[in-house]
This record gives sequence, C-alpha cells and structure tokens, in this order.
Amino acid sequence: MSGSKAVAGATPDEPREPAVPGSSGMSLACADVSFSYEEARAPIPAVRDVSFELPAGGSLALMGASGSGKSTLLQVVRGLDAPDTGAVLLDGAAPVDAGYAALQREVGLVFQAPELQLFAATAREDVAFGPRRLGWPEEQVTAAVDTALDVVGLPPAHFAERHPYSLSGGEQRRLALAGVLAMRPRLLLLDEPFVSLDPGTRRQLVGILERLKAAGVTLLLATHDVDLAWALCDELLVLGEGRLVAAGPWDFSTAGGRLLAENRLREPFFVELWRRLGRDPQRAPRSASAAAEALS
Amino acid sequence: MSSSPDETAPLFDISGLHYRYAGAQADALADLDLTVHEGEFVAVLGANGSGKSTLARLLGGLEKPTAARHALACGHDLLVEDGRLSARRDVGVLFQNPENQLVAQCVEDDVAFGLENLAWPAADMRRRVDAMLARFGLEELRRREPHMLSGGQKQRTALAGVIAVPRRVLVLDEPTAMLDPAGRDEVLMAVREMHADGLAVVYITQEMDEAVGADRVVVLGGGTEAYAGTAAGLFADAVRVRRLGLGLPAAGELALALAERGHALRGLPLTIDELLAALGDAP
Repeated sequence: MSGSKAVAGATPDEPREPAVPGSSGMSLACADVSFSYEEARAPIPAVRDVSFELPAGGSLALMGASGSGKSTLLQVVRGLDAPDTGAVLLDGAAPVDAGYAALQREVGLVFQAPELQLFAATAREDVAFGPRRLGWPEEQVTAAVDTALDVVGLPPAHFAERHPYSLSGGEQRRLALAGVLAMRPRLLLLDEPFVSLDPGTRRQLVGILERLKAAGVTLLLATHDVDLAWALCDELLVLGEGRLVAAGPWDFSTAGGRLLAENRLREPFFVELWRRLGRDPQRAPRSASAAAEALS
Repeated sequence: MSSSPDETAPLFDISGLHYRYAGAQADALADLDLTVHEGEFVAVLGANGSGKSTLARLLGGLEKPTAARHALACGHDLLVEDGRLSARRDVGVLFQNPENQLVAQCVEDDVAFGLENLAWPAADMRRRVDAMLARFGLEELRRREPHMLSGGQKQRTALAGVIAVPRRVLVLDEPTAMLDPAGRDEVLMAVREMHADGLAVVYITQEMDEAVGADRVVVLGGGTEAYAGTAAGLFADAVRVRRLGLGLPAAGELALALAERGHALRGLPLTIDELLAALGDAP
C-alpha cells in the first residue's frame, strides 16, 4: 500500500472553526488523475487518467464492475492517497494552493462497513473524536455531535451514552455515518453504504442522504445498487478497469443501455418499467411514490 | 467415522435451538425450529442483528449450539464435536465476507483447497477446478493472488471453492451483497442451476426480490422465527413486513403506493412481469 504518501502542498493541521450548518456544498474536479498500487510485481493501475467535474450541491453515482477502481478513486479524492499524476481540485483549488488542507478537511469519506471502525466507550465519544481532532472548541464539538446524532436518527437523549456495541447493526452504521457528518463535510463520499443493510435501515439511510442533498451537500456515491443510485443521484460516472467510460446525465438510449451492460450494470427498475410501458425511460420516476403519482 | 446419513431424513432437523455469545445478556437465537428437506430452496430474511449469520455458522457445524432439543445437519448431531466435524464436510457455507475464507496463494489453488484436503486424484481435481473457474468467470484470474482481487472477485472465488467440494446442502449468507449487478446475476444463476440439479439451498439475503422464487421463506426476528411460509404470504402483509425491518420487492412497493392512491391492482405483483401484467389488467 502507498497510503502513507504525503499529499503535495498539504499544510499542517491547524484549528479551524466548523463550517456553518447548511453552508453550500463543495465542488469537485478531477483532472487526469492516475493512481497505482505499488506491488512487488507488475503494478496494477487502479485509476487511469480520470477527469470529471461535480458541481457544488450535485450528486454523482460512481459505478462500474467490481475491481474497476471506485474505492481507490474515493480514497484519492479524500486525500488518503496522493495521485501519481493529475490533481484533485476542491472548490477549484489545487493541492499547491493555500487553504487546500482546510478544504480537504471538509471532505467526508464513509468507508465500506464503517461500523467496524467504532471504538469509543459511548456513542457521543465516538462521534466527537473527529471534531476534537480538528481542534474545535468543546461547546462546538458538543453541538456538532448532537446535530449529527439527530440527523442520522439516533436522538442524543436516547443514544449518546450508549455503548456502540450495544447498538443494532443498522444503528452502528448510522452512528459511524454520524462520526463523519459531525465534521460538517461539504462533500460527502460514500463507499457502498447500502451493502448488507436490511431494507428498513436502507430506507432510513436513503432518507438521511436525501436530506443532506437538500441541504446542499455534494454527494459522490460509489455503489453497485443501480436502483438506489438512480433514486439519489442526478448524474452517473462509470469506471471500467480504472478508466472513465462515461460521465454525465443518465443515458437510457440504446447506446446508453449497451454501455451499462458492458460495465456489468443494468437499468434501474423504474427505467425498465417505463420503457416496457412505452413511456420515455429518460423521464422515469425515481421513487415508488413518484411512479404511483405518474400512473394514477 | 460417523454413521452414514439417512437419505430420506431432513437435511436440517433443528428444534428448540438456542445460541448465546459469551458475555452476552440475551440469546442471539432463541428456541428456533428449522427443517429443510432434500431439494428445497429456503430463503432466510431478517433485519440486521436478527441472528441470520449466527444461524449460518451453526448450520455449518462451525459453532456449538448453547442448547437444543435436537440439532441435526445431514444426520450429524451438531451438539457433539464429531457431528459438527462431519457437518462441515456435507454442508457448504459461504459467508458475507470472503476475506477470511481465501487461504491459498492464487485463485485456482483456493478453489482446489477443499478437494486437496479430501485427497482427490490430480486429474479429477483439475477438471473440477477448471469447471468451477469457468462457471464463475474466473479463468483469466486463475493465477491472481487473492489480495489482488476486488471484493466481488474474492466472493466468486470463495463460492467456487465451497461448491468445488460435493455438498449435500449449501448455506449462503448474503453471497451477492458485494457483487456488481452482472456478478450478482452470475452467482444467482449458478445457485439456481445447482438447486435445479437437486441441491438444497438455505439462502440468507437482504434482497427481497431474491426471496421471491424460494420454495419457502423463513424470517428471523429477535433470534427466533417471526414468519415461515411462502414469499407471497409474507409480502401480502406490508405492515408486518415493515415491522420486521424488511421491505417489498420494487414491484410490490409500487403496487402499494398505487393502492394508497386508490388504484389497487388485482393481486400483489412481486416481479416486473407480474406488475406489467397487473397494470395491463387495471381498469
């Protein structure tokens, strides 16, 4: 692994006031980003010459076959791995620009199965860890923790003093998400957040992400679940063997359908339904209630 | 050696099963009954923390039940060490996360691992491994080291290894959770083919549409049986489905949303084909 590579131009951590709640999302641009894992034998390029733009407040589904480089790209965007070539621009700033490190701290990454990283003795302490590390004053930390617990549906009055391991699996995943949200990310990266969640917890998480999106947070969502990607994301980026295959609005033309199939994906349920009903698949609904509305 | 299994007895014959993790305040599984017969496809559903993965480990002989009236897997007594060891040979178990199941230096060695332990002749083993690699689209990765595989590729390798050894029943714990849609279809198709060939399957999943074709659906809630019956019977009661932390397949969710707007369809569609047919019938 090369995760210890320093990010070029990063400035040392310094105390920083938390972003104002509801402050606008961060824009993201990747310019010719490449990253390879260093292996003893032939290196396997994980991300190759990837360029795309995601406007502030936008939502982008990051899709592609297993092994296409989605997790790697998220780690590079988060700054955990520095690109071999190319640059990740945050709000238009490059790594060499002043203030880039501060912008990086406003990027939140929710790992796969983030509940495995819970460690503190209480839910409150676990969520407070990130904000404290950022050097926030303690009253700001408390406020941020309370807000984050509320946002994920774990009201502090009932949950703040619970031991993380006494929570159900779904509650643990939401607690881990709260730990990222407490740092008030303006760009939220999620790596397969729905895997292994029961449908009830999935519905809750979709609701949380819809509220964050409405609040202006920029979303980059890596997922295999085309139905949830379609429900949550305005645009789609497809990776194939580390390269960008397509980026932009969803395209359900014949060519667009072929591109999905070639990348081991499929049409969302409502898109297939609309097509088979003889309706315009580009205007397919994104939820059961919207579909019922249109069919009523 | 344990006695040879009775071919007509149930593959799983479980009654009054309890399991409690060390130091836990409550049972993870409590007074659970489960019977699975030859050739059956049983889907097991349940909210996170309902005991599904614990059940998979117990059925595979990997944990000792805390208590049970009786607990037989392929005729082997899961309450005794010898029985659990025999059960591990007859019951193929695949877990949610294949990381801990890959042991060899490359994909084809991993698929061959169980056969080597059973001392299969080299030529038979080669044919069997090749067939498994082909079935899961792993031919080009056969020399790849497991740590160089993506999550989905690891899952397919682990499943190929489980199935390479002839089994009497498979217990699959969310085998498609980490796969891309095409990988999910490949695994589902392979599982359905093996079931069509007569192999019994206990299939644990959070994907409601994967339960639709099952012979029987068992829902766990709080460590015990909260529902047992057909998929149609389960999904017909949407209030209970939600209370159990589950959902309806997408077609059913849309039918429900239509009913709430006063446009009830005839019957409850569970697949897109059934939904299109029901919409065609609608007044």
